[in-house]
Amino acid sequence: MRRRVALAALLVVCVAAVLAYQSSRPAASGADARVFVPSPRFYLDLSPSFRTSVADAYWLQTIQYYGEHLRSDNRFDSLWPMLDLVTTLSPRFEQAYFTGAFALIDAGRPDRAYGLLKRGMAANPAEWRFPAYLGFFAYTFGSEELKEKWAAHWYAKAAALPGRPAYVPRLAAALLTKSGARDKAIAMWASVYAEGDKYSREKAVKALGALLATDAQERAKELASVRTMMSPQAYFQLLQDLGMGSS
Amino acid sequence: MSRVLTIALNTFKETIRDRILGVIVLFALAMIVGSVWLGAISLGQAGRMMQDFGLVAVTLFGLVVAVFVGASLVRKEIDKRTVFVLFSKPLGRSEFIVGKFLGLCATLFVVTMGMGVFLFVAVWYVAKSPQPDLLLACLLIYVQLVVVVAVTVLFSTVTSPTLASVLGVCVFIAGQLSSNVLSLTRLGHSPFVKAASWVVFVVVPNLSAVDIKAAVVGEQVSRPATLGLWVGYLAAYCVVVLLLASFVFRRKEF
Repeated sequence: MRRRVALAALLVVCVAAVLAYQSSRPAASGADARVFVPSPRFYLDLSPSFRTSVADAYWLQTIQYYGEHLRSDNRFDSLWPMLDLVTTLSPRFEQAYFTGAFALIDAGRPDRAYGLLKRGMAANPAEWRFPAYLGFFAYTFGSEELKEKWAAHWYAKAAALPGRPAYVPRLAAALLTKSGARDKAIAMWASVYAEGDKYSREKAVKALGALLATDAQERAKELASVRTMMSPQAYFQLLQDLGMGSS
Repeated sequence: MSRVLTIALNTFKETIRDRILGVIVLFALAMIVGSVWLGAISLGQAGRMMQDFGLVAVTLFGLVVAVFVGASLVRKEIDKRTVFVLFSKPLGRSEFIVGKFLGLCATLFVVTMGMGVFLFVAVWYVAKSPQPDLLLACLLIYVQLVVVVAVTVLFSTVTSPTLASVLGVCVFIAGQLSSNVLSLTRLGHSPFVKAASWVVFVVVPNLSAVDIKAAVVGEQVSRPATLGLWVGYLAAYCVVVLLLASFVFRRKEF
C-alpha cells in the first residue's frame, strides 16, 4: 500500500514539474529571418509523388514565416526561396502566387512580385486574375512614364480571358485611353459596349464620344473598324447612342 | 478455387479482428481530422490542404497495414503450427499463399476505401463541393499497396517478418522513385551503371505511374487510358511475385 502511495506521489510530482516547467518557459526568441530552404529540384527528384504535399507543408511554413516577421523585424530574407519552392513544386497553386506577390511587396521586392505573377500566368494561362494583378502591380509600382501603358496591356489581356468580371474590360479601356493607345482604346470600349450592362454601355458611349473624331465622316470610318466586334443590332444601337443615326 | 476463397475469407476475418488494424484506422482518421485544423491556418486553402495531407495519411497508414500485417501473415501460421493442420488437408501451398494474399487485399480494400470515403465526405463538407477524384486517388493508392503486399508476402516466405516489413517499405519507396532510376539509365556514363540502373528500373514496380495525388489538387492531368494500362502492368507484376512466392514456399521445409 505504502509503495503504491509513494508511486502515486512521485507521479503527481513529476507531472506537476513537467507542466510547471513547460508553462513557465520564456516565449520563443525572435525567429531567424534566414532559414534553410532546399532547392525545388531536390524535392522534384526525391519525392515526385508527394511534391504537392511538400509544397503545401512549405506553404504553411511560408505563411508562418511571413506573419512572424511582419509582426517583428520586417525582414523577409527567405521569403522568395520559400515561394519559389512552393510554386515550382505546385505550379497551379494559384493562391501561393497571389498571396506571395503581396508578401513580396512587403519585403520591398515588387520586381520579384511581378516576376512571380508572370510565372503564375505562364503556368495558369486561362486564369484572368494573373494579368489583372499584373496590371494592378504595373500601375501601382511601375515607372511613371510606362505604368499606364503596361497596366493597359495586362488589363487588356485579362479582359480577353473567360470568367473575368465586367469591370475588367472597362478598366482596360480606360487605361488604354489614358495611355494614348487610341485605336486599342476604341476597340476595347466597343467590346465593353457589346458585352456590358446598361452602366457599362453608358460609360462606353461617353468614352467613345470623347475618343472618336469630331468630323462625322471620320467618326463613321473609325466606328466601321469595330463593326465586326458586335451584332448588327448592337452596332446600330451604338450609332444611335452616339447620335449618328443609321449612318 | 473454393479452397483459395476459404483461406482468403478466413484471413480477412482474422485481420479485421486484429486490434492493431482498428488502432491504425482510428489514427488515420485522426490524421485526416488534423488536416482540417491545418486547413484553418492555410489562408483559405482548407480544401486543398485536406485533400493533400489526407491522401498522404491514407497512403502511409495503408502502407503500415500492408507491410506489417503482410509480413506476419505466413509466419503466424507457422508459429502457431496451424499450418500443419491446413496442409494435412487437400490444400496446396500455392493456394495457401494466394488465399492469404487475397484475404489481406480484401482487408486493405476495406481500410483504404474506408479512409478514402471519410476523406471524401470531410473534403465535401469543407470545400462545399464533392471531389470524386479523391476516391479514384484512394483506389490507385490501394493498387500500389496491393503490389507492396505481394512483395512483402514474397519476402516473408524467405526471411523474418521484421526484415520482410523493412524490405516491403523499401520497395514502396523505390517504386515512388522509378522515374529517377530511369533517368540514371539515360544519364549514366558507365555502361555498368546504365545496365544496373536498367535492371533496377525493370525489377522495381513503377508505383509512381499510378499516382494521381498531384492531379487531385489540380496539378497534372490524369490520363485514364494510360492509367488503365499501368494498373494492368501492376496486376501482372503481382502475379509474377505471387508465383515466385508460391515457388519458394513450396520448397520450404517446416
